[in-house]
Amino acid sequence: MKQLITLEINNRVYEIPVDPKDLLVDVVRKKVALTGTKKGCGQGDCGACTVLIDGEPVLSCITLAIACQGKKITTIEGLVAEDGKLHPIQQSFVDHGAVQCGFCTPGMILSSKSLLDKNSRPSEEEIKRGIAGNICRCTGYKRIVAAISAAGETISSEGVK
Amino acid sequence: MYLNDFEYFAPKTCGEILDLVGRLGTKAKILAGGTDLLIMMKEKMLKPDYLIDINDVQELKGISYEPGKGAVIGTATKISEIEHSDLIREKYFALSQAAGELGSAQVRAMATLGGNSCHASPAAETPPPLVALGAKVVVKSIAGEKELPLEEFILGNRKTTLAEGEILTKFLLPEPAPRSASRYSYIGLRDAMEIDAVNMAVNLALEDDGRTVKSLRMVMGSVSPVPLIAVEAQGILIGQVFNQELMEKAAQAASVEANPISDIRASAEYRREMVAVLARRLLQQAFNAASGTKEGNW
Repeated sequence: MKQLITLEINNRVYEIPVDPKDLLVDVVRKKVALTGTKKGCGQGDCGACTVLIDGEPVLSCITLAIACQGKKITTIEGLVAEDGKLHPIQQSFVDHGAVQCGFCTPGMILSSKSLLDKNSRPSEEEIKRGIAGNICRCTGYKRIVAAISAAGETISSEGVK
Repeated sequence: MYLNDFEYFAPKTCGEILDLVGRLGTKAKILAGGTDLLIMMKEKMLKPDYLIDINDVQELKGISYEPGKGAVIGTATKISEIEHSDLIREKYFALSQAAGELGSAQVRAMATLGGNSCHASPAAETPPPLVALGAKVVVKSIAGEKELPLEEFILGNRKTTLAEGEILTKFLLPEPAPRSASRYSYIGLRDAMEIDAVNMAVNLALEDDGRTVKSLRMVMGSVSPVPLIAVEAQGILIGQVFNQELMEKAAQAASVEANPISDIRASAEYRREMVAVLARRLLQQAFNAASGTKEGNW
């Protein structure tokens, strides 16, 4: 049975009819039409569906949409500034060639954001640990790690969030 | 990969949960982190008619500590909160280590301490350190509540003592003994998102002389259906002055006591060997930390 729920996604409030069994990834992609969030393995292993809930990285393919009421959800679309300027992490991924097929990129960037929000100057090991739940099958990890490290430097020097 | 239809409840208090589990019985499942439950539902291993989401119940969340008494950890406390807790790192280091090794950043942000024990996977990270640290669980129903050691709560692969109408509400960790230290380690194929082939936690306390083992808990995971306490190995060291020879004997005894199976992750023979390896490392590390010696080369 459908219920009307309220979700706050990227600082915008949506009223959406959902079934209790509807997963956050499907609601975000199909009902809110924010298709930046990717659905990969569907069982919480690959990290492609990562979104931030109250700043913490969460696997939206094993999260019920109905359980996210009253929380702040951030998807990759929410990182771009109003004027269209890319977030420093996004820009750094572009600058470092850290995007190949792009399927892991939204989840990878959101995991990075959660990491850099807590520690803007992580070591290489801390970066690897932070993105250990995000799998890239093009294996561009080296450039991804470099992009995150450089983004951290930009963020800490410019004080961007 | 779709879920079955179910009715969803998000109670705000422990009383409301007990009312729901009492009324809905075995057709209901508790939704904590969901990192195990939703996957089992997707794979059609479970088809509950009702899900009771306990994430809005404040009284089941968080870590508190009273000097001399110990710590209380709510069942719905996230693994990431335990991983980042200074208190847990300082007083219950093995648990801090296990929490940090569980899954990935995403899984740690979602999964809960209670879920890890209630799911009762033999390869779970947190039950061995909890048992080594002497943790008790509080089980509650409408009829009342009871306390029992975690090793008596976990009965087997995905089996616990939880009866219809009961829930696990919190973990009670005793104050660590003076001159004691706990350590955790594991063997797995990769660092993140793997399922441990073997894991182990050691909690060692020394007498005033700083050399004689006063008490010891060694608990092995993934080598038995339940967290296995290495009783023989403990007996070899308790009351004795810690030395390399006895440590080696204890490691061999633990290896014999382990009851592993061969599966996709490791053979039984390999697991037995690794039990001895982990036992040596952890005993040495715990002894060094408890005696105040600088950590060795491990």
